[in-house]
Amino acid sequence: MAAHEILAATNAVVTLDVALPGTVWPWLVTVNMWAKSIGTGVIFMLMLLLKRYPQQVGKLRFQTTVVAIVFIHIFLLFTLADLHQPLRMWHIFFYPHVTSAITVGAWMATAFVGLLFLLAFLSFIKKDDAAFDKTLPWVVALAIPVTLYTAGLMSQCTARELWQMPTESAQMIFAALLSGSAFMILLGGSQLNWEAKRSLSNILALSAFMSFVLYMSEYVFGPMKAEEVAAVLEYIKGDGPYTVMFWIGQWVAYLLPMLLIALSRSSKNESILKLAAILAIVGLAVVKHVWLMIPQLLPMS
Amino acid sequence: MQLGFLVDLHLCMGCKGCEIACKVENEVPLSTWRLRVKYVDVGTFPETKRTFTPLRCNHCENAPCERICPVSALHYLENGIVNIDKERCIGCAGCVMACPYGAIYIDPQTQTADKCTYCAHRVASSMMPACVVACPVQANIFGDLDDPTSNISKYIMENQAGVQVRKPEKGTNPHHFYVGGGNVNLNPLASHRVEGHSLFNKITTLPVGGHH
Repeated sequence: MAAHEILAATNAVVTLDVALPGTVWPWLVTVNMWAKSIGTGVIFMLMLLLKRYPQQVGKLRFQTTVVAIVFIHIFLLFTLADLHQPLRMWHIFFYPHVTSAITVGAWMATAFVGLLFLLAFLSFIKKDDAAFDKTLPWVVALAIPVTLYTAGLMSQCTARELWQMPTESAQMIFAALLSGSAFMILLGGSQLNWEAKRSLSNILALSAFMSFVLYMSEYVFGPMKAEEVAAVLEYIKGDGPYTVMFWIGQWVAYLLPMLLIALSRSSKNESILKLAAILAIVGLAVVKHVWLMIPQLLPMS
Repeated sequence: MQLGFLVDLHLCMGCKGCEIACKVENEVPLSTWRLRVKYVDVGTFPETKRTFTPLRCNHCENAPCERICPVSALHYLENGIVNIDKERCIGCAGCVMACPYGAIYIDPQTQTADKCTYCAHRVASSMMPACVVACPVQANIFGDLDDPTSNISKYIMENQAGVQVRKPEKGTNPHHFYVGGGNVNLNPLASHRVEGHSLFNKITTLPVGGHH
């Protein structure tokens, strides 16, 4: 018998339970995921530009590397800040437990930072574009698992039924593509022609669309699979505590950017495209935050 | 050896003696609990009754907390206990997020994860866990699940149809069993939680970190 049927029959009320604190991973983890999406996403976009528009990349090699370094360090800083014992972070490297996505992610992120600094060295100190272009595919190859490992971590959270691995990994990669293309549209400025920006806007619109489809699929079909998912999604339905924030996120991150991109392409207006990019970057943080918070509201006992 | 716990909910009368014994034995700080007894009121007045369910770490065979811990602070002992090394814990709270039973918390004094260890230090000295000793009605039965002559094994044999675990669908294979429980006791979705509707409304929690 389903829990809600039992509930109707028994009228059971918890009259004493010292439930442990619900929100364990706060907004710091939201910033962590958001910054990592940008830090890896711009690297994906640099690779794309290098393949399709090599003559326009120029200074973007160094600029993109700096952006990636900054955002990956924001990601690392907020990861550290979220630890209750940040000074013990070194334990991850000296007492590693390889079944944990946190351990594997920390190692990969460290290697990723090393490669980013190598790119910075090649582009700024050595000024060797050929070496940079040869190294970049390796950085892209590592950026993929770096952006995906958080999905692995979320799927290891057995208590949170909402976070399932295939969906979360797709969301993570789309988040990287969305934020990477959006940031590159802003960073590109006058260095990229309309054709290159159109390619970036295609990626932005497609990743926004796919992300939106995934969220809506969860929203509609998730409750049909598991009662726990249904209970969690109640927090973003009706007058749930995160309903407004959820829909603001969906509109700002996905729907408005898609509409604005369509508008910018018909009018060839770069300002509208930039607005779409800014909205996508801001909205992504809202979307991520809602999805992080709602499973934590459900009592485990 | 595979140590396990069984609580006979027919016997439990919600005295909270186990809670207090656990707190004293393990010096559990204010506002946190390794073991707690949940009260659920069932029915509509005057046909009502109160159920009592002691909740603690389930010491799962396939423990999500052990798997997610990046530094092996959570680890298995040879006797099957899922133990925690607070000196190694970095406080990432991954285990808190992973545990489907809400059995792990961040200790506000040490800023590390903590949970029931089945009183591993007492067990190592051939003593029973503090909660077992304190229970006035012997509702807590503790022993070796691999030993067919142990009390817990016999109890499980005698009550086969009534033995349950919490959230079996999670695939964690808990080594903590209940007899006489129903959905109301074991399924958190099968009871209402009304804000402020608690026997002790003044319960407060200590901060577990500057940003939480």
